[in-house]
Amino acid sequence: MNPRALDERIIALIADLTGIRPAEIKPRDRLREDLGMDSVTSMELLSLLAEELDLDIPVEEAVAVTTVEATLAMARRHAGAAAR
Amino acid sequence: MNALVLGAGGFLGLNVVDVLAEAGVAVRCGRRARSNVLPLRQRRAELAAADLDAPAELAAAMAGCSVVVHAAGYYPRLSLDHRGALATAIAQMQRVLDAAAAAGVPRLIYVSSTATVAAAPSGPADESHVFSRPPGLGIYHDVKWAMEDLALRETRLEVVVACPGACLGPWDLRVGTSALLVATARGLDPPHPDGVINLVDVRDVALATWRLAGLPAPPRRVILAAGNHRLHALLEDLAGRYGQRRPSPPLSFDDAVALADREEARAALFGGRPAIAREIVDLVVHGVPVATGLARTVLGMRWRPLSDTLAAYDDWARRLRILPPPVLEKQP
Repeated sequence: MNPRALDERIIALIADLTGIRPAEIKPRDRLREDLGMDSVTSMELLSLLAEELDLDIPVEEAVAVTTVEATLAMARRHAGAAAR
Repeated sequence: MNALVLGAGGFLGLNVVDVLAEAGVAVRCGRRARSNVLPLRQRRAELAAADLDAPAELAAAMAGCSVVVHAAGYYPRLSLDHRGALATAIAQMQRVLDAAAAAGVPRLIYVSSTATVAAAPSGPADESHVFSRPPGLGIYHDVKWAMEDLALRETRLEVVVACPGACLGPWDLRVGTSALLVATARGLDPPHPDGVINLVDVRDVALATWRLAGLPAPPRRVILAAGNHRLHALLEDLAGRYGQRRPSPPLSFDDAVALADREEARAALFGGRPAIAREIVDLVVHGVPVATGLARTVLGMRWRPLSDTLAAYDDWARRLRILPPPVLEKQP
């Protein structure tokens, strides 16, 4: 999956989990404060992502992700590692 | 032994998966469609769809298993809908039992709670102390009683009920049982009533579950608890441990109930977590001291001391940033 498609897929997942329209989700949005996710939902997001893209995301790394752009960066990093 | 763990991605479930895998048991991990499976993926565990509301899925997940560990009993997050919570709990338990019977599973271990242990006339209560009807001490108690009652009446397969106290230890990712600990460690002085709580290291509960799975003639019901504590005294000790000021005095039962009910109503309307949950108030105020002689003699349990449990929790929770790093004394 190319980086743009990956970003779009992640935004779609966030939209699905939060009920917010994809166009309204911005990279700097904070998952909890701005998008209303709680710790459980944000972990579900990263778990869904890991399953869909077959990524190995350590829990310790996942709990440190607090924004949309951090989610995108982490997914790109792990997707890149998986492709190598 | 081939085991299916329902609720494998949860606090207790992950610890059960670890103990079973270390013992060489082939473990299948039941999961819901939308659940956090990152810790299970890290373990390279076999995942199986096992939604408690999907009977066919449950039966398929149980196929070929010699034991099912049911660590996914319904837990009403808010105590606002007594009838609805009971209906969900009973329906889900019935589906699990039906699926296990249909799949030919010989033994199911259901993880219940010390909330189902009735007070003894004098001294600590043991496995013989049961409520003959719903305890009526709150929604959580009634839900746990109803599920356990249904499980113990099952005749198509062998059902073993484990009644753990409040579990502490690694992998409480949702910060459930450890919520008061974390709030105290962060200096938030959580509001609380006083009463008896039974604590146990989650790793000991997982170990006991494995032993129950393999025992030729397990008891029907066994209490798993390392110690009985007064909550306020425990919070005082924890405040000292984490370098925080002493907790405020405990709330009366009436004040604690009123606060919890207000908080739950707010959480239902606006989301978020209540500052104190109603089931915690009910569990603490109606908590009874328990004896665990059966687990020691039949399962050979030697409970970890609370200091070991807290050390393991601190280590894990700091890695996951649930607890702040320890305050280091300034070097001279």
